[in-house]
Amino acid sequence: MIEISNLTFDYPGHRALDDVSLKVQSGSVTALVGPNGAGKTTLMRCIAGLESPLSGTIHVAGMDVIEKPREVHRIMGYLSDFFGLYQELTVAQCLEYAAASQGLPSNAIHDAIILTARQLDLSDRLQQISGSLSRGLRQRLAIGQAIIHGPKVLLLDEPASGLDPEARASLAMLFRQLQTSGMTLLVSSHILAELDEYSTHMLSLRNGRVLENRAISGSQPAIAQRRIRLKLSLADARLVDWIANKPGATIIKADAENAEFDLQGDLSVQSLLLRELVIAGFQVASFAEHKENLQQSYLQSVAANPIASHS
Amino acid sequence: MNPEFKRNLWLVFTPQRLIVTPILLTLVFVSIGMFNQDQIATNLHGLARIMFTFIVWFWGLRNANASITDELREKTWDQQRMSALQPWAMTWGKLFGATAFAWYAGLICLAVAAFFGWMTQGESVFINLLTLVLTGILLHAASIALNLHTSQIESRTVQQGGVGWFGLFALILLWVMGARWFTVEAVNWWGMVFSTPSFLLFSSLLFAGFAVFAAWRRMDNALQVRTLPWAWPLFAVVLAVYLAGLIGDADDNTLIVFSTTALLVAVAMTYIALISEPTGLLVWQRLKRRQELGDWRGFLERLPLWPSTLVLAFVFAMLASANLTDWNVTPTLNLFFGLAPLGVALMLLRDVCVFLFFTLAPNAKRAFSAALFYLIVINMVLPFLAQVAGLSSLRYLLLPIDLANPWNGVLIMSIHAIIAFGLFRWRLSHAMKD
Repeated sequence: MIEISNLTFDYPGHRALDDVSLKVQSGSVTALVGPNGAGKTTLMRCIAGLESPLSGTIHVAGMDVIEKPREVHRIMGYLSDFFGLYQELTVAQCLEYAAASQGLPSNAIHDAIILTARQLDLSDRLQQISGSLSRGLRQRLAIGQAIIHGPKVLLLDEPASGLDPEARASLAMLFRQLQTSGMTLLVSSHILAELDEYSTHMLSLRNGRVLENRAISGSQPAIAQRRIRLKLSLADARLVDWIANKPGATIIKADAENAEFDLQGDLSVQSLLLRELVIAGFQVASFAEHKENLQQSYLQSVAANPIASHS
Repeated sequence: MNPEFKRNLWLVFTPQRLIVTPILLTLVFVSIGMFNQDQIATNLHGLARIMFTFIVWFWGLRNANASITDELREKTWDQQRMSALQPWAMTWGKLFGATAFAWYAGLICLAVAAFFGWMTQGESVFINLLTLVLTGILLHAASIALNLHTSQIESRTVQQGGVGWFGLFALILLWVMGARWFTVEAVNWWGMVFSTPSFLLFSSLLFAGFAVFAAWRRMDNALQVRTLPWAWPLFAVVLAVYLAGLIGDADDNTLIVFSTTALLVAVAMTYIALISEPTGLLVWQRLKRRQELGDWRGFLERLPLWPSTLVLAFVFAMLASANLTDWNVTPTLNLFFGLAPLGVALMLLRDVCVFLFFTLAPNAKRAFSAALFYLIVINMVLPFLAQVAGLSSLRYLLLPIDLANPWNGVLIMSIHAIIAFGLFRWRLSHAMKD
């Protein structure tokens, strides 16, 4: 859905993006992670066509962002990290303006407002002045403005900053809904825990360079490989060799009591292995798929790319 | 309805304001009418004109200014930049939407002024009132264009109140000029005699048209619609034609009057563009990139405004030089302080190179102020000090004013320009390598 090649962006005296190339899969939720100043916001603004890079190309759904930014805007929604709202307008007026200015035909605007308000749980607040909304509701309204025209791609820059845990949880649910509806999301944050719940891919940036861009294991139900964590209630010296000899299993770390390994195959393979463990006499206390932790993954990618991290 | 216009109407109109405004204005007019019943029509016409001017010119200018500054300050500008609205729709939506309430109140005043003016002055009053309306549009559009233009280089200034003060300055200038022009009955323009009201109407129509066009062009750029740089030099030529028509006498050589006036206009517009646009390394890197790709349309689309009027300055300087035989032939030439037209263009080239030399410096934060400082030193302080110190030869080398033989000045200015250009090239090549 998003394809970037050799993107370089300079601010006076500072290279914000350095020869960045990446792809974002259609229908994915990509967590754009990295420390402050890594280039996350600049990358998002370049994809949104709000900044002109020094060199490189950006294509969204096959359209060249640099050459035809306005065409790309029709299929894109963008929520800036410091977004604003028209404080004196009602929620309905804000949504109507967003819909009309995004080119929705006038006979479709009313339905779009109702649908978006329902999606964002703002239906009972349509006549409320936006300036009087809480931070979480303001965030929802801003997202509503960004998605009211049904974009294929949604860029969200630090969407959960300043939100309380309840609002963050409902935001995560909303992002999952949007993904289910076929939208491609690119969500930036430097608080990785909040991205953990809904991201399918991780794009890691540091010093304007891509450290890593890959699917997060366990994020997709039909994934061919899953990471398993096993704990025995009674240590058993056979454990390491037993797992190592199983076809499709690759040990990450293991001892007589604990094991962490990648297993090729679907849920039935996982179920079969558990039964074999029990039949073999291992005292299994826990046996579960381990969803990759974004924080750990990011730190691992930083550790694996020391040159990019410290240059 | 244009969504931007509609949004502005939501913001500026409330039922109370719609009802209360005409009532208040009526009370004011009735009170003044009852206060002095001897010349009721004259008094009400004058009052209505003053009120229109205050409401539409001042208040409307403030609102037009806020139509950009508020978007930037409230962080809604990105949303507008990503909208599907065409630049023209966004331009007129802001131009007439943000100022809609000022126009609503202003048009009530205008109706009163028109009615009582027609009673006392006849139909001629309509020309004056139309001039007032067009001047209002001119001020509003210019404010939008200036804010959009300056937001490229320093959005903080725009957020902190914009360049509305430019508008206030323009208002004062208009009043001063208007006061002068209203004392004369006719205006001679390119040998044609116009009544003053007719000429003011023509002028306000011309410049209001250009101001709206400028706002549209700047909105094009803000909404990512790329444009080729022809409008800025076109405005320079039109402004030169307009001013030369006022400056020239019947006895003057038309071509010389036009070319020398056009040279001055091009010089002024080059300086204005130079200090109001981004000129740092990024601009040059992007141009170099387009050049390397052989994308000449992209190159021109990314070209700042100042090179177009710099080229125009040389064209008009050569045109003037080719037709100039007697250096004291026109009063216009006195404006050059004894420098030949080509010397003026070369001085401009030197100043541009000096300015760029500093703005390409590694410490970009102070580059702009340093560049302005050195231009003032080179053009004013050093020649003045040399003059007062009795070092007339040094002063001549710094600022070669010589009415007796202006071509000497061209030679000296050529040396200045070559040195400045060399410095600029050296700084640019080093900056590109870094």
